Amino acid sequence: MGVNKQNCRNELRTAIQQLNDRCLYSASKWAAEQLVGIEQDPTKYPPSHTRLQRDSSSILRRFHCTDEITSTPIAGTSYVSTPVLEEDNGDVDSDLYVLAKSYFNCREYRRAAHVLSDQTGSKALFLKCYALYLAGEKRKEEETIELEGSLGESNTVNSEIVSIERDLAAVRKNGSIDSFGLYLYGLVLKAKGNENLARTILVESVNAYPWNWTAWLTLQSLCTTIDTLNGLKLHNHWMKDFFLASTYHELRMHNESLAKYDYLQSTFGSSNYIKAQIAKAQYSLRDFENVEVVFEELLRIDPYRIDDMDMYSNVLYAKECFSGLSYLAHQVFLTDKYRPESCCIIGNYYSLKGLHEKSVMYFKRALKLDKNYLSAWTLMGHEYVEMKNTPAAVDAYRRAVDINPCDYRAWYGLGQAYEMMGMPYYALHYFKKSVFLQPGDSRLWIAMAQCYERDEIRMHEEAIKCYRRAASCNDREAIALHRLAKLHSELGQNQEAAFYYKKDLERMEEEEREGPNMVEALLFLATYCRAQERYEEAEVYCTRLLDYNGPEKEKAKSLLQAVKLAQSGFP
Amino acid sequence: MVKGQSGGFVMTPHKVSICILLQVYAPSGQLSVPYPFDSISQHNRLGLFLIALTKSCDDILEPTLDEFLKLLKEFGVLYNWLTDHVTGRLSSLSSPDDLFTFFSELRGILAGLETSIIDDDQINLDPNSNLGMYLRRCMLAFNTLSFEGTCHLLTNIKTYCKEVFSPYEMSHLDDASNDPEAPLEYENMDLENIVLQNFTEELESRKRSNERVPFHNHSSKALFSLVEDITVSPGQKVKRNHRSQMQTQPPSVESSDVRTNWQIQGYMSEQADMIEKLGSSFPMSAFESVLKLLQKVAPELHRVHFLRYLNSLYHDDYSAALENLSRYFDYSAGMEGSDFVPPLSCMNNGRYEIALLTLGMTHFHFGHPKLALKVLTEAVRVCQMHSDDTCLAYTLTAICNLLSEVGISNITGIMGASDSHVSTSMSVQQQLFLLLRRTLKRADSLKLKRLVASNQLALAKFDLKHVQRPLLSFGPKASIQLRTSPTNVCKKLRLSSQLIHQFDNESSVVTIDGALSTSWLKNQRKPTTTLVFPPESGPESNRDTFYSWLQSSSVPGSVLQLVGSSYLVSATSWELYGSASLAQSNALLFANCFADSSSSADLALAYGKLIQHLAVYKGYKAFAALKIAEAKFLSVSKSGILPVKLQLLHERALHRGHLKLAQQICDELGVLASSVTGVDMEIKTEASLRRARTLLAANQFSEAASVAHSLFCKCYKFNMHVENATVLLFLAEIHKRSGNGVLGIPYALASLSFCESFNLDLLRAAATLTLAELWLLLGPRHAKRALNLIHSAFPIILGQGGLELQSRAHIAEAKCYLSDSSISVSEDPDIVVDSLRQACEGLEALEYHEMAAEAYYLMAIVLDKSGQMEQREEAAARFKQHITALENPIKPEDPLVNLL
Repeated sequence: MGVNKQNCRNELRTAIQQLNDRCLYSASKWAAEQLVGIEQDPTKYPPSHTRLQRDSSSILRRFHCTDEITSTPIAGTSYVSTPVLEEDNGDVDSDLYVLAKSYFNCREYRRAAHVLSDQTGSKALFLKCYALYLAGEKRKEEETIELEGSLGESNTVNSEIVSIERDLAAVRKNGSIDSFGLYLYGLVLKAKGNENLARTILVESVNAYPWNWTAWLTLQSLCTTIDTLNGLKLHNHWMKDFFLASTYHELRMHNESLAKYDYLQSTFGSSNYIKAQIAKAQYSLRDFENVEVVFEELLRIDPYRIDDMDMYSNVLYAKECFSGLSYLAHQVFLTDKYRPESCCIIGNYYSLKGLHEKSVMYFKRALKLDKNYLSAWTLMGHEYVEMKNTPAAVDAYRRAVDINPCDYRAWYGLGQAYEMMGMPYYALHYFKKSVFLQPGDSRLWIAMAQCYERDEIRMHEEAIKCYRRAASCNDREAIALHRLAKLHSELGQNQEAAFYYKKDLERMEEEEREGPNMVEALLFLATYCRAQERYEEAEVYCTRLLDYNGPEKEKAKSLLQAVKLAQSGFP
Repeated sequence: MVKGQSGGFVMTPHKVSICILLQVYAPSGQLSVPYPFDSISQHNRLGLFLIALTKSCDDILEPTLDEFLKLLKEFGVLYNWLTDHVTGRLSSLSSPDDLFTFFSELRGILAGLETSIIDDDQINLDPNSNLGMYLRRCMLAFNTLSFEGTCHLLTNIKTYCKEVFSPYEMSHLDDASNDPEAPLEYENMDLENIVLQNFTEELESRKRSNERVPFHNHSSKALFSLVEDITVSPGQKVKRNHRSQMQTQPPSVESSDVRTNWQIQGYMSEQADMIEKLGSSFPMSAFESVLKLLQKVAPELHRVHFLRYLNSLYHDDYSAALENLSRYFDYSAGMEGSDFVPPLSCMNNGRYEIALLTLGMTHFHFGHPKLALKVLTEAVRVCQMHSDDTCLAYTLTAICNLLSEVGISNITGIMGASDSHVSTSMSVQQQLFLLLRRTLKRADSLKLKRLVASNQLALAKFDLKHVQRPLLSFGPKASIQLRTSPTNVCKKLRLSSQLIHQFDNESSVVTIDGALSTSWLKNQRKPTTTLVFPPESGPESNRDTFYSWLQSSSVPGSVLQLVGSSYLVSATSWELYGSASLAQSNALLFANCFADSSSSADLALAYGKLIQHLAVYKGYKAFAALKIAEAKFLSVSKSGILPVKLQLLHERALHRGHLKLAQQICDELGVLASSVTGVDMEIKTEASLRRARTLLAANQFSEAASVAHSLFCKCYKFNMHVENATVLLFLAEIHKRSGNGVLGIPYALASLSFCESFNLDLLRAAATLTLAELWLLLGPRHAKRALNLIHSAFPIILGQGGLELQSRAHIAEAKCYLSDSSISVSEDPDIVVDSLRQACEGLEALEYHEMAAEAYYLMAIVLDKSGQMEQREEAAARFKQHITALENPIKPEDPLVNLL
């Protein structure tokens, strides 16, 4: 089905070796994960082989509604087979290369580059440039700390970039550049801000050597719109599916992304990476139940995993699962406490406990470790809102938005903060941004509608429009219908009000909820039907009202009498 | 590293080179005239030069080595030696230890405090002198450097030296286009070229306009000192300024010569003033790239966002403006860069009401009055909530401006019940009046002088166009004349221009963040640099003193702008009251004295007024002036010049009988106005009035009347009664042309009464004239009455009226005489011929063929009656000329047609 598993396995095995050889460790890590993730034929292998891939798909499938995601269209695609690279090997050269590689592994980058300075082979050239690049990056980080001035200067640049670019451009011109060189060239061009050229170069690189996942990731960071993505001329390779799935997720096309992953799972059935990615997509679709299941599974298989665990903590937070969150926080703290994700998880834990100052401290630590850590900024904003420190909250949210303008949570947070400060009209600007980015989220629509409803501005017409949108996109708390009915009745639009009360009533019946809303709906409908001279209906509502105690009961009685009178009076 | 240092004094390569020169100036243990110098005076010159350099050490931008070496050219013979020495020393600094030795050597040239024996022959720097202090600061700054800091200084010196040979190497922006190896096939290259091309075009156009009209050249070149790089004196050198920004700023910022927060704030507030003043002629893309760079370098400096907002605002980029505005206030919480001290209670809550105020004004700028009003209402509420009185005063003023500028027929429902300042039972105008008065009082009690002045101005504007009605709806009513009161207007205008004296007398001026530091530096530097570099020519400095009272730094630009606009308003008021000469002189005063401090939009308005004045009184010579003004405001979008041009062209087309062209021009004028109701009312009324006039000229009476009628309704709805006087007069005119005098008279009378209650004297004279013409239409019996009317209007018409009005009056007078049976024209032709001759002259200047033909026709008849055959023939010939010109409108050689 889809991809030949054995071919895949062979390709990945070679690729891991080649990537390791070039010190592209995170790419090789990824490839190795996928290699293990390819489902073994259980008949051929003893169970000990599959320790790391205990089958969880049965659980998954239970929660999966397969009918909404179709994976058919990919069936007909034919994949290009990319020839596996041949290695160039001279004896002395390879000795030097090994030396350089050992230096590199000891993080002595400049030394490694120096050893290779006279080498001409493309492999040596790549490692030399890559080592220089990393040396420059390291220096850049150090300088950022050294130069931290009153203006927050961050004008430090990787000083090696210019020379690396020059070298690689020359090699590319005479045609002897290999795919790894192209990847580095693309990386350097991206750092210089020359994005169009970087994209072209990276496409060349991944077309020539598709197994370098970091190259794909760099390419992904350059595809910020669907049009650029569609404009890429990529060969059909199964790696492209991974790329597309991940990029679709970044572009907030979650269902498309899920479909791709679903398809990939047929080959890489026990890949933890894919599981986490599916969880990510489901998280974005607010399908928390599934996400929790997936993460529990992941943690059982891979207990020391920290990647993506911050999302799990968000889910636990949303479900107010104190013990689970504290267990997770403890786990990651023991594994590696200086990972931004770990700090974020601990921050979440404190936030759930209501200890907002401590929580802010941990988010700040996370941001110190990675100042572009999007969700930490947003979560810190939430904490500041809880602490009623709105200016700080606004600042934190704004930073999140400036890092990624598509973060609808931060836009929503900004709106909320301004609404809190009594500036609902100003807040609307931000709410509009957030619903624009996430039009299917009823919570955002309801928040915006409530903003429109505020006493200060009273824009009821607009509020009704928002509630309608909220009601049409799966409003879980069922606020929208009730508010719609109420607003319409306040505006004297009884027909619409009756329509929505009826709908609300139906919904409450279905979910077996009771409460004041029910009474209100029944009373309105009874009065309305009587006024419309639909006596039988009115009678039904009145009798139902009689089930409740309170003043409504008396009202219902008198209504019922009036209805009976009217019926008998005019048969 | 930078944080801990005293006052942000950071060692930079430029300072190192100054130190090298200091060492040359005072080598330790040398005789009175040390080695390279020939004479004492030469030596002293270097000393003065060094003092000038140290004074400017707090400049935001430091010169590159190249620029610095050019300064040394002053020293003639020594130039080569000095440059070699400086570059030599700089390049000899190759290790941190070299720097250490260099600075410890420097210590030697300071005279120690303990050495009491001062040898006269030896040159030592007094540690407390200017240069000595500077040296000590440098040494202190160096000594506090960490090892990393020293390394950075060293690398900076290396790049500083390198830049002499390849100044652009450091600049990111140029990398892609400079790289010879970058393949040319990629699209972004083209884009960059286009941007670059646009920019150069922009520069070119500015250059051209600058060449043609040297309006901005008042400031002296002495200010234009060589060390000064980014300080901008108003108006003077826009072009130079941007060139220098493009060239010097990016590299300098790159090489981390960034100075204190304070100074950059000063630089930015100056730039902000520039943007507001120049409007859309400010080169957007160039400045945007500078700002982007600044933002990258100093992400914590939020003012950059504000400048980006201003920049996009004045280039009509709505979404970018909104985006940057909200970003700025999100980051700064309104606490940064405002010129008044916030009350303590607001300190920790932020002052987001300012965000609302700014947003409201942005919406207003883009012509969204309803949105603006909503936002401003919210601002009022938030101000009240935080009891921020200052902001409240500003917000109320903004609301007043909005209400008076924009035609709003009904504000109930927009303002909402929450605003206690306005009760809903009154008309919009009454509410506005109350609001204005309260705002004035509030500003007065808060001692916000500028705001008071601008409120006075707003009240003057209101009084100009509105009759005050009693506000009481019951109870005793004082008898109030139902007229506007010009004295009130005048008084208020005077009061608002009093402002300049208040600021002139004040010694300490509130300045925005760092503006003071730069302006102080500018003033300090002036005398010193003139000592070193003598001023080039005499007359320039004369001019400088002439303007110095306006440009002296004690009067802030915003005050000047306000005072300037009070002159502009008084020009408008005289225009309405019918004193053309006073209107002209006020506009002239404004254009001459406030050109530097006012915004280009205001300036364009003043020019427009002057041009129109020319057109009305001198005929089409105005087109020459128009061309000059057009060149000046070439790049200003939404400038006031374009409508003026269209009006002139329309007038001319009507006079010459080119009705198709007139129609086309009318349509173009109409398109200039925004489509939102209530916005751009002036242009809208002007356009429809002109459309009606075009229809009238085509003798389509009923169509013209219906257009005028709907215009009247619109003006009535938006309370524009001054305009209504004109519309009514025009309706009378239509009836006159259609020969229906009886119907016309009521309109003329109505217009007259409007003119009286609004004190529109000139228009009143015109209405009287029309009334006379209408009477005359009813038959010769009424000639006497008509003549009396004309004579009563004559003083004003001849004194203040334009050519057309005068000619019309003359013709009407002549007609009266001709139809009056009691006067025999043949016996005394001069009473008629004289006025007719004057009418003919005026009309020929205006090329008004139709009326000129009429005048000549009448003249021919009179001359015929009085028997002056020769002259009669001449008049008849002219009559024929005009008639043929009228019948064959478009001449191919007409040069003004392609102006459009």
